[in-house]
Amino acid sequence: MSAHAGTAPRTSISLETRLRATARSEWIKFRSVRSGPAVLLATAVILPVTAWLLCAYYRNGWATMSPASQASFDPVFISLRGIEGAQLLVGAFGVITATGEYTSGLIRGTFIATPQRAQVIAMKAAIFAVVVWAWCTLLSFAAFFIGQALLSNPAKHVAIGDPGALTAVFGGGLYLTLIGLLGLFIGVLLRRTPGALAALFGILLVLPVAIGLLGGKNSAQLAEFLPDSGGEEIFKLLHGGAYTLGPWQGFAVLAAYVAAAAAPAFLLVRRRDA
Amino acid sequence: MTSETMPAAATSSGRRASPSALLRARAVLSAEWIKLRSLRSMLVTPALAAVFCIGWGSLVCLRYVNTWPTRVAAGKAGFQPLDVNFNVLVIGVLFFGVLGALVVTNEYGNGLIRATLAATPQRGLILAAKTALLTLIALLSSAVLCFALFLAGQGILAGHLPHVTLADPGVLGRVLGAIFYLTTASLIGLFTGVIARSAAVAMSCVFGVFLVLPTLLNSLHGGVWRHTVPYLPSNLGNALWLSHAGSLVRPTVAALGLAAYIIVLGVLATYSLRRRDA
Repeated sequence: MSAHAGTAPRTSISLETRLRATARSEWIKFRSVRSGPAVLLATAVILPVTAWLLCAYYRNGWATMSPASQASFDPVFISLRGIEGAQLLVGAFGVITATGEYTSGLIRGTFIATPQRAQVIAMKAAIFAVVVWAWCTLLSFAAFFIGQALLSNPAKHVAIGDPGALTAVFGGGLYLTLIGLLGLFIGVLLRRTPGALAALFGILLVLPVAIGLLGGKNSAQLAEFLPDSGGEEIFKLLHGGAYTLGPWQGFAVLAAYVAAAAAPAFLLVRRRDA
Repeated sequence: MTSETMPAAATSSGRRASPSALLRARAVLSAEWIKLRSLRSMLVTPALAAVFCIGWGSLVCLRYVNTWPTRVAAGKAGFQPLDVNFNVLVIGVLFFGVLGALVVTNEYGNGLIRATLAATPQRGLILAAKTALLTLIALLSSAVLCFALFLAGQGILAGHLPHVTLADPGVLGRVLGAIFYLTTASLIGLFTGVIARSAAVAMSCVFGVFLVLPTLLNSLHGGVWRHTVPYLPSNLGNALWLSHAGSLVRPTVAALGLAAYIIVLGVLATYSLRRRDA
């Protein structure tokens, strides 16, 4: 209200100009997150190395595997399983992209410069998403090709042109991007690094284990609708489970969690102190 | 390292009456105690660990009681009351790792570490005091947690299902083993925090080592994996309280292995703290 009164006297900046300026400033801040390059580099190690380790292991042990486990073997998922480790780093990167600014106090300067707080958060998320998506998709392809090269005959392997393979490999990059965004929005919500990290890892990693401990059919059904096991369907070729969520259905589950974190983040960032 | 720090220490002690080693150790201990006491996560983390572990552990036992009649004979024969009761420690250990990590990274986060190091240039002594106090706190809180978890879980199982008491052979040893594991996890968190100097990195390491690594690697059994995977910190720790050891190492080896992790990480952390900027 008062903001409106303040902007009325001078020529108001067009939305486009403001968005461009916000994008520039968010890009500078994103670039200067200290652990950013380290996280992206570590991801570049984890994905190919895990693909190499796991695929070499399964190729060597292929002859000794039972027919049942040979049938349920998912060559695409195995080559992309490093994502399960990389998600820790990408998720933490998302968290500190948001909370780092609160810790250093820079967020106050940011919000004074751009009182349109929702636009700031949207631009922050967009820049994060584009960079992480491009990088992780590249790594996903690298892991896939390394893995499939190792899984030679007689072990089960697929080519990039085989049905579902391309979706799964692109899915790996998309999955990591959404995990990072989940971390970013949780970071905006909680504004503190340890709390936000604990919340993200709790939802992502602890919840599936905790539900698994209960055992039984209901727990298994419930687990399919967790962000981690739901989202993983997009980089799997074979889909099991009680509900047999397909790649995009599983991905929608993860996207719903991200939306559920984003909505209160956008709402609260406008109403709360920085 | 000592050769570098010695001259400074010698000149300063030459000019003014140097505090005796004992006095200095006491001062450092009380300083560290004040910092620990006033750290919010110091109270919140063990409390959350206890609430979650005892609550969820009881829920798991309750579920076994409720679903027992529908379980197959093989499942009933393989039922291990303490394993079912303590399985929740797979998650509980994360709280203790994070507790250790936050003790020191919090200080790096708010910059207090620089004042600490300026006040006590004997950086090794600071780490020793932190280690001692954290060990004490983790030992006490994990002991309360494990015994309460045991009593709650076995209380639920008693009368319906096979259950154990502390007097049964080996049971007390496994409860104590769980306490040892949780305490070492907090020290691993502490040393990782000193090396990482950032809450985000240290917490990611704790979750990575205790949760993601076993998820990724525990399905590998052949070849070189058979001789390495059981030595992951999480698998060593689980060997201390799981009865169905399977591919896990013997408890004595597990305890020694965890001790080795602590010593190696402790040395690395001491080196890192003495050599690097705060």
